[in-house]
Amino acid sequence: MKSFFTLVFIVLSSSSFATEQAEQLFNQLKPSLYQIKLIDKASGEKSSIGSGFQISKDGILATNYHVISSYALHPKKYRIEYLDSKGNTGSLALQSVDVINDLALVKREMDSISSDDVTFFQLAQSAPHKGEKLFSLGNPHDLGMIVVPGTYNGLKKESFNQRIHFTGSINSGMSGGPVVNKQAEVVGINVATSGNSIGFLVPHDKLNSLYQDFLQAPPESIEQQMAAQLTANQNKLMSAILNSPWQAKPLGKQGIIPIIDVPFIRCWGNSNADKADALILTAVANCSLDENTYLSSRFYTGSMEIEFRYMQAKDIGANKFYHLYQQQIAHAGAGNRAGKDNVTQYQCHHDLVMPNNQTINNKIIFCTRAYKKFPDLFDVLYLSASIDKNKQALVSHFTIAGVNQKNALAFTRKFMEAVSWN
Amino acid sequence: MELTKEEFSIKEVVAKELIIEEINRNHKLLHRHKLDKPSINIGRDYHNDIILADPHVCPSHISIDFIDEQWQITDNQTVNGTFVENIKEKKHAANQHIVCDGDVISLGKSQLRLLFSDHTVEATVAFSPFESFINLMRHPLALFISITFFTLIAGSIIYFNKPIEVNFSQLLVPAIGMSLGFALWPAGVALVSHLSKQDARLMAQLGVSFALFNLMWFSDILETIVTFNSSSDTILPMLATFTSVILAFSLFWLNSYIGFHMSSKRRIVVSASITLLLFGGSYLIQYSKQPDFNPRPNYNATIMMPSFLFTTSSNVDEFIDNSSKLFDQTKQEALSE
Repeated sequence: MKSFFTLVFIVLSSSSFATEQAEQLFNQLKPSLYQIKLIDKASGEKSSIGSGFQISKDGILATNYHVISSYALHPKKYRIEYLDSKGNTGSLALQSVDVINDLALVKREMDSISSDDVTFFQLAQSAPHKGEKLFSLGNPHDLGMIVVPGTYNGLKKESFNQRIHFTGSINSGMSGGPVVNKQAEVVGINVATSGNSIGFLVPHDKLNSLYQDFLQAPPESIEQQMAAQLTANQNKLMSAILNSPWQAKPLGKQGIIPIIDVPFIRCWGNSNADKADALILTAVANCSLDENTYLSSRFYTGSMEIEFRYMQAKDIGANKFYHLYQQQIAHAGAGNRAGKDNVTQYQCHHDLVMPNNQTINNKIIFCTRAYKKFPDLFDVLYLSASIDKNKQALVSHFTIAGVNQKNALAFTRKFMEAVSWN
Repeated sequence: MELTKEEFSIKEVVAKELIIEEINRNHKLLHRHKLDKPSINIGRDYHNDIILADPHVCPSHISIDFIDEQWQITDNQTVNGTFVENIKEKKHAANQHIVCDGDVISLGKSQLRLLFSDHTVEATVAFSPFESFINLMRHPLALFISITFFTLIAGSIIYFNKPIEVNFSQLLVPAIGMSLGFALWPAGVALVSHLSKQDARLMAQLGVSFALFNLMWFSDILETIVTFNSSSDTILPMLATFTSVILAFSLFWLNSYIGFHMSSKRRIVVSASITLLLFGGSYLIQYSKQPDFNPRPNYNATIMMPSFLFTTSSNVDEFIDNSSKLFDQTKQEALSE
């Protein structure tokens, strides 16, 4: 009984200690926290909100790229404003962005009088350790600045661009807010949530390198900076994919498909083997890159999807099988969301192709569309349908968003050679 | 002297005969009268040689008399008058008018064409080579075979595209429905020709239309095979589309040949116009439905079973080469905006 009391006491005291600590931290950091608002110039009302925090004496604020993305793409339509803890507002100027890691630097006009007693956040020197208590700060749903305690759970597994897995509830509007350790040092930036207290943060070193690059050479134009980052990122991604082992794996009775052995591409499978009345037995394997780059609410890039489909006719003739097979491949679509302002329409080429391994004969369709703001980047779509077996078919399909010509064609070539019959 | 007298008497006989045609407003023939009297009376009452039922015509409207080797019209001071409508001259009152071969006169709302018996008729229209084809197709057995063939193809297409198990009656009903639907076209044409006082010739219309419909199925299959066997760089599928235009034109030409008497030039113009309306119209409908921006690619997914494969495939290098051109094309498009 005594031990129980002790236990309860310890639990109580530790939780009250945590609350106290959070309160103390919050009061200490409050002056350097800002709500960031995008104001639509024509209507004068805010069109999106997020959080931000000051990281330098001269008024540089860090936030998420997605908070200010509309301004970055349409600077004439919007202006950026901040709201500080005392209720003061003022305008902000966009300085630099990192679209891949969803970061942006904005600058606040500082008047010389107040610049002496200005406070700002310090970036941590090292990454936190697993289980470390962290505090996320931000302004969720425009409800006012809050602090949310949570736990550091390492880097998100299987991600191409690093994200911290934070156990604690992050809500929209907190985007761009800092996450600090007990020493009030920034270890990450709120960026996304997948509900149920699973939050994702951008590691602080990404912010550090963006800030250091900015100090050395501020970007000439945000658009060029974005183009360079997108190009560099797809080069990194595609060379990782092209240089990793591709394992040949059977699909269905006789299909051979490649499984790209990189942790950030994950595969799922399904089949209709349980459906007795199906005319065609179908087995599907889907692989995809589980992340994409946000450019605007109507324009995502950086995604990749791969799909393999094995089909076998059950009680139907070859002619009917091919009619149904054609219906299956007639409606492939883009893997990423993009609109008229961002991309051209797809243009396609199709031909009958037999790869050099001579084991399969395909009808192959290849389509591309170009990015209007970022020349040399394209979305590509590939669809290959085997046409050499009367009652079996193998479909291989992929889409890649935001890739250059060289990488797209290198991937296509390797992919074409990797699909075959057993 | 003797000779001239002979000649004179022959001429008199020839000239005395007058052919009077009752025609409608479109100058289509209603009735024809051949009269050899020196004086012809036309009007609404029953003493006349030609009795017109038109209420705007007077009981004794006009008389046409053979005087001095010529036919002369006399208007009997009628209420609504009599007029000559010649192609060469302006419309004018017909009283005391000397009749020329081919004159059209109007009395009330009726029209009469006056012809001499030496009026030259148009050259005989020879049977076109299609006549034997039409006669073959209108034969009940041939008609039965082509409609059955059509229904079978319709049924098998429905069967091939149904993703679920289907039984025979589930195919038969829509297939027969489709045949009946397609039969509406020749039936409609026959009805129109019947209404325009021409021979309906329903069997011929049905036979020819279904023969052409079957040819269209065939050209469709041919087009699919050509598309399947060719890459997007060739224009062969375009030629196949051209075939279906030709077939549609032939169908409309034959329909009008069977159903309507018209000059061959006019027949070509009419069939070409209907073809243009059909293909141009469906193109316009497709074009208007196309969204301003399509986020999905528009590609040709035609595939067929291996027995329809006749070409050799390209290799990977050729495909990559051709695909790389798309990057330049889309980039140009992106830069031009």
